[in-house]
Amino acid sequence: MFRQLSLPLVLLALLALAAVCMAMMVGSASLSVGDVWAVVRGEGEGLARTMVLDLRLPRALSAFAVGGLLAVAGALMQVLLRNPLADPYVLGLSGGASIGALGAMLAGVGGVLMSGSAFAGALFSTFLVFGLAHGRGGWTPSRLLLTGVVIAAGWGAVITLMLALSPAERLPGMLYWLMGDLSYARTPWPPLLLLVAICLALVPLGRNLNVLARGPQQAAALGVDVRPLEWGIYVLASVLTAAAVTTAGSIGFVGLVIPHMLRLLLGNDQRLILPACALAGGTLLVLADTLARTIIAPEQLPVGVITALLGVPTFLLLLYRSR
Amino acid sequence: MPVERRSSVFTLPSNVARRIRWALCPALLSVATLAAAETVPGTHSRCVIDDRDREVCLHAAAQRIATLSPGATELAFAAGAGDQVVAVVDYSDYPHEALEIPSVGSHTRVDLEALVALSPDLVIGWTTGNPPEQLETLASLGMPVFYIEPRGVDGVASVIERLARLAGTEATGQNVADAFREGMADLENRYRDRDAVSTFYQVWDEPLMSINDEHLIGQVVRLCGGTNAFGEQQRLVPRLDDEAVLAANPEVIIAGGMGEENRDWLTHWEQYTELEAVAQGNLFFVPPSLIQRPTPRLLEGAALLCEKLETARERR
Repeated sequence: MFRQLSLPLVLLALLALAAVCMAMMVGSASLSVGDVWAVVRGEGEGLARTMVLDLRLPRALSAFAVGGLLAVAGALMQVLLRNPLADPYVLGLSGGASIGALGAMLAGVGGVLMSGSAFAGALFSTFLVFGLAHGRGGWTPSRLLLTGVVIAAGWGAVITLMLALSPAERLPGMLYWLMGDLSYARTPWPPLLLLVAICLALVPLGRNLNVLARGPQQAAALGVDVRPLEWGIYVLASVLTAAAVTTAGSIGFVGLVIPHMLRLLLGNDQRLILPACALAGGTLLVLADTLARTIIAPEQLPVGVITALLGVPTFLLLLYRSR
Repeated sequence: MPVERRSSVFTLPSNVARRIRWALCPALLSVATLAAAETVPGTHSRCVIDDRDREVCLHAAAQRIATLSPGATELAFAAGAGDQVVAVVDYSDYPHEALEIPSVGSHTRVDLEALVALSPDLVIGWTTGNPPEQLETLASLGMPVFYIEPRGVDGVASVIERLARLAGTEATGQNVADAFREGMADLENRYRDRDAVSTFYQVWDEPLMSINDEHLIGQVVRLCGGTNAFGEQQRLVPRLDDEAVLAANPEVIIAGGMGEENRDWLTHWEQYTELEAVAQGNLFFVPPSLIQRPTPRLLEGAALLCEKLETARERR
């Protein structure tokens, strides 16, 4: 059993490592393999060192963390809502974060304040959906989904309004943020540590999640305390998404497609899928970001464009070939 | 000089801090002496205050300058530092020599790696145009970043003087800045008190956009003795519709835009024969590159705009 679970994870981890190595090798400035290797061993001259350790590595690690967080959050949302179309943003969380971030940009503040504002917006949206989904009646996944989707639509309207009213010189920055862009990433450590911590925390919950994925009644019959588990997943997925959105803007697609892709390949065992999502989501985003910053360098593309361009054909191929 | 006054305010806290350090750490006296030697203003031969009120200091004149906006490129060349510019961004199309300099992406997204590879010793950033995160990253890599946000005639002239100071081209920079200030003052003296001409400046056609009085172009319109038809608007660049223009009924319509000729923007207005500007034939074009960038070329653009308004006065 353990070997069954660990082989795909080891392969995915190797793939992730290869992706990060590639991200450190490739860039718009041409450094030879020898240069990069020298830097990794702690040697190498100033310029190559700055490139690899101060520019490429932090960005690659941020990309990995964000991709991992989004994919895990997506997988959790799909279990929670028992809806294959669920992704981390389906409940309006990215909308709340966007309003926080765009508001900060309109006010002319950047950096830490903007990240804080985005995080606050994401959490506000989470609690709004959380509060309203209760309503007067009972709580159901479909009710949560509807509340979230409608609130997301509301945020969408506010975002459009903000874009229409904002001064022209601020528009490019705002659009890049909405498309998802890793040049906003400051330090990779908070999201990366969160990703590792959450993956470890989810290990003991794997069995309960597997049962919950089959439906709440079955889960309750098998002795799972459904309500706290569902709220726990909701809060967890929200915090993961908020951290990802805060780091790099709203990058679409990773959270929806990576969990499905892995389920098609590995089956629907949450004990395997969740850590696999962290690795595969991170790998996809590292590769996408490497392409985004080099493909037409020195022009920089928003990474969200590349994730979709890479992910859509891969996913369609897997879906077509599955039975 | 406002610049010098501000700089004295800014050096005060570091003096105080140094005194505190001396007082509190007698045991680390030798260390403190070394640290203080690093920050004594005398060792930095060139210090200026940038448009974010930060003090930017260089040990020696900048030899490798990166300009992160087309306007910054123009200003660096105007300051006489053109030969020292090693990196520009897209659309840095003036002067023509700038087209030969390697580009490091667009001003909205700079390719940091390409920029760092050119190892600039001074980066000219644009406060509201460049992503703040990227400029902070450059600063954290130890690159001096000089932020510019020139607003108005004085802003342009003062940026040129400060850039020249950092680049060690003070003589050229001072001449260019003085000539610009004098040229603008001449225009103002000549036209400011002429009869008012109600003017609509069209920045863009879809959506239809104008400028208010605070905008650089609004300032030029005022300097030429015009009254901006949409000067009272709240937003710097208000979005309008044809109806608003018909209601304002300006005496002159001036089109800007992207290219150097936008005849169709002006022919659009000819369908409204009741507009005073159309009846008088006062539909003019001023090349946007001369008036929309806060650079010394503004003098040429302003002279052109003043002439157009004068033509309108003669047609009365």
